Amino acid sequence: MTATSFRARASQGATAGLLLALFLFPRVASNYWLDVFTSAFFYVILALGLNVVVGFAGLLDLGYAAFFAIGAYTTGILTTVYHVPFLLTVPAAAALAALSGVVIGAPALRLRSDYLAIVTLGFGEIIRITAKNLTLTGSASGIYGIPRPTVFGHALKTQQDFYYLLLILAIVTYLAMRRLEHSRVGRAWKYIREDEDAAAAMGIDPFRYKLLAFVVGAVVGGLAGTVFAVRMTAIAPESFGFMQSVLILLAVILGGLGRLPGVVLGAFLIVLLPEAMREFASWRYFLFGALLIAMMHFRPEGLWPAGRRKMPQSGRAALNGGDGR
Amino acid sequence: MNVWGEQLMNALVIGSFYSLIALGYSMVYGIIQLLNFAHGDVYMVGAFVGYGVLSAMSGAPLFVGLGAAFLFASLATGLLGLGVERIAYRPLLQSSRLVMLITAIGVSLVLENGVMLALGPSFRVMPVELPRSGLSLFGADVTYAQLAIIATSVGLMLLLDAFVRRTLYGKAMRAIAVNPTATALMGIPVHRVIALTFFIGSFLAGSAGVLAGVYYGKINFMMGFIVGLKAFTASVLGGIGSLPGAMLGGYLLGFLETFGAAALGGEWKDVFAFVILILILTLKPTGLLGRTGTERV
Amino acid sequence: MKRRSADFSSVHPAPRRLRPGRRTITGLALLAFVLLGSGFLSACGGKTASTDGPPSGQTAGEATGGSSGGEILIGVQSPTTGSEAKMGQDINQAIELAVEELNAKGGVLGKTIKLTFADDACDPQTATAAANKLVSQGVVAVVGGYCSGATLPATGVYHQAGIPMVVTAANSEKIPAQGYPEIFLVNGTTKHQAKRAAEYMVKEQGAKRIALVHDNSAFARDLAEATKQEVEALGGEVIAFEAVNSDENDFTPVISKLKSLKPDATYWTAYYSAGGLFIKQFKTAKVPGIIGVGDGANDKMLVAIAGKENAEGTFITMSPSAEFIPEAKAFIERYYAKYGEEPGPYSALSYDGMRLLADAIERAGSTEPAAIVRALRETKDFPVFGGTITFNPDGTIQKSNFIVVVVKNGEFALP
Repeated sequence: MTATSFRARASQGATAGLLLALFLFPRVASNYWLDVFTSAFFYVILALGLNVVVGFAGLLDLGYAAFFAIGAYTTGILTTVYHVPFLLTVPAAAALAALSGVVIGAPALRLRSDYLAIVTLGFGEIIRITAKNLTLTGSASGIYGIPRPTVFGHALKTQQDFYYLLLILAIVTYLAMRRLEHSRVGRAWKYIREDEDAAAAMGIDPFRYKLLAFVVGAVVGGLAGTVFAVRMTAIAPESFGFMQSVLILLAVILGGLGRLPGVVLGAFLIVLLPEAMREFASWRYFLFGALLIAMMHFRPEGLWPAGRRKMPQSGRAALNGGDGR
Repeated sequence: MNVWGEQLMNALVIGSFYSLIALGYSMVYGIIQLLNFAHGDVYMVGAFVGYGVLSAMSGAPLFVGLGAAFLFASLATGLLGLGVERIAYRPLLQSSRLVMLITAIGVSLVLENGVMLALGPSFRVMPVELPRSGLSLFGADVTYAQLAIIATSVGLMLLLDAFVRRTLYGKAMRAIAVNPTATALMGIPVHRVIALTFFIGSFLAGSAGVLAGVYYGKINFMMGFIVGLKAFTASVLGGIGSLPGAMLGGYLLGFLETFGAAALGGEWKDVFAFVILILILTLKPTGLLGRTGTERV
Repeated sequence: MKRRSADFSSVHPAPRRLRPGRRTITGLALLAFVLLGSGFLSACGGKTASTDGPPSGQTAGEATGGSSGGEILIGVQSPTTGSEAKMGQDINQAIELAVEELNAKGGVLGKTIKLTFADDACDPQTATAAANKLVSQGVVAVVGGYCSGATLPATGVYHQAGIPMVVTAANSEKIPAQGYPEIFLVNGTTKHQAKRAAEYMVKEQGAKRIALVHDNSAFARDLAEATKQEVEALGGEVIAFEAVNSDENDFTPVISKLKSLKPDATYWTAYYSAGGLFIKQFKTAKVPGIIGVGDGANDKMLVAIAGKENAEGTFITMSPSAEFIPEAKAFIERYYAKYGEEPGPYSALSYDGMRLLADAIERAGSTEPAAIVRALRETKDFPVFGGTITFNPDGTIQKSNFIVVVVKNGEFALP
């Protein structure tokens, strides 16, 4: 017990030190690095949101950027056209994201697991193209001139303001996700992911829980979108394409599916690696692709997985048996 | 002049491309339940191989060049399909669908960006130009090129149908789709049949790639992405796993899209296709000709 | 048959005592990341300034070093990855050439100009990051900007930093409409181009029934809408206003529709790659009337994609590229000598933009961004290829620089 308490203290110390370092970072960093880290926090939030769907509940969502877009556009339109204060657009964006999560999730979640991936992909494209076609969403040039927000009397203007805003939001999301993971709901999701039939036999309604995961993911994505809109002050449909969804998915898979610190690591990787390799920017997706294949073969549980966990197995084991090996 | 007749021809041509690619999706899904996300990129590679052959044979007569490009590109992409199956998918056959699907996304990224890195991101223009001549059918202008594409596609589909129905390998494919374990127990080399399926699917996608590349004249590394998604939609529309379904779905999608675009405006064409996909999956997940089986676990 | 993982730790939460250990790793790894991050910081800074000195001091040193040392640091924003990478390369090379020549003549204010390049990938999000990167490197001014969609959010960043930008290719009306005093456009805007296109079709070619086709991109849609207004102002009728998806290859549904409407002239406002195909399918389907394209389709590849025979007679509205300006002949030769290729469609404009900026810094007598902005605003009849530049109060050029060329024997030529 003494050993663990020592480790606990060491880890608390490390966490505190890290947080302190992150809070002091703006004092030494240039605007550029503030911007990069702000992006990283932002992807941490998105990846944590998608992790609920993919990591906890084991559902593949290839159109996560759609929820992110819904949040961003809700805030963008409400603040520029109707001059609604930023904070009031937040619940509206969350509600719309949740609603679209139900609308797309309710029919799709009854389907085979891999059909869901394609339905979400299609949904993502529909949202992007619709945003591109409608005048309400500013068509292809998108919405610009989104006012900087005022949060509790404090106007957020500088890089530093947004750095702190996203840092705090990322920490809050992380803590919320950790509570969620170990809650009754979080355990139910993992049970469904590991064995849906067994979960159902234990009285867990897989459909309801899957829908819940989908909606939670959608809401987190939508909220991230509202912050994105006020941070960038300009949003365009091309920011919400399929590659955006793949990037967020990569963050989740790279670090460790379903494992929160791993997801954070993944989010940092997808932001920092391309920045570090700006010179080799054209290699970036090629390397990502190769990395995905290699990881699925050698380390499907991610770079920083939890304990000795296996990815869910499906009935294809039969095929292996059939090979006469 | 007959606008509807011309739109009909447009729909048949694009439907042919969708059908040829959709067949590969459907066959692979039918046999190992993998959504081969990289299938659209195989189509793209086919177009590039065709481009290479045509460039190398620029002196040869048009039809000789086209024939060689068609054969060579189809075979090359067939082999590419074999390679991808062997390297990327076979070691994972017992993994979950999620793992397989993520791998397929990886393969897709590697193929797209590999071609981009090797040949550059800019467009390539096919070194041949199809004659613009044609004939008038019921008042609609139809080019010989369009007729040739439709005829070639339908020919390939008939060949495939005969292969699956009449040969022993075809029978083995159908058997694996029904029950892989039992098939293996009957002494059938399951992996060899799966590899063959990949070869045939990729062969068809590659031939569609050459045909489309020559027909449109312009190719680039991203050309397979949207078409692949559409072809997937087509195979779901027809009932994934069913070969006649894939053919039907491809042509049906061609019609819906062409007439949808004409009625609603081209900017809504893709939305139209994806809405159809979602509706079909929601209302009739087995598709039009799919088997009404439940998901085997 | 289901293979089940050996342990159930994933189903049930891990026993509590295990978690602190994981947290240690979390903390350490994240810490490592921050350190790694500051490592990048110094690595990146090293590219533009001296490599010694601590990271934080270095960025500060850079910011002042940009303007006070023996060098003037100027940022170049352009797409060097993605589908428009070629355009970015053309722009960068032309700017590099201009700087080389300026430095050979003794530089500006007795200092040499140093360029730092940032890729905007033609994507709004990347562009914002690129703009922030340039600002934090301490550039005194920025040139470049090809895609309007990417330039639009980037100008906001420059505006907040008070740094002037000479936009050399992007020309959406929305950029000046933001009212940022630091942004100057050396290319004619959408309105200039729409007017020239309408004049050519309605007045010079006598076309009455006009069809407009765009690809729903910010630039193409704006141009199509502006052209619609100009055509109607000249008494023409817009009988079709269609959009296509340029990621696709098949535009036949729209083309068959056009065919039934029998336009006198069709104007494609989007980019060259899809434009070439559009022309090819347009001619194959035997749609009546003339066809033309906007400056987004101003590229030799247009003819290659459409096929020489199909492209014949197509008109192109464009900002003057070097080859149609007699006095730019020497520029083309120097460019060719340095890079072994012809200048791109926006090379001449970028070359001029860089020269204009250097001239403004010289006139400002200072490398203070505010002084440069003032000097740019006071630009009067600055000689550029094919004309002179004087800015409107909103930062756009006063005189339209758009010209019309047509395809003759597979080549672009003045009509």
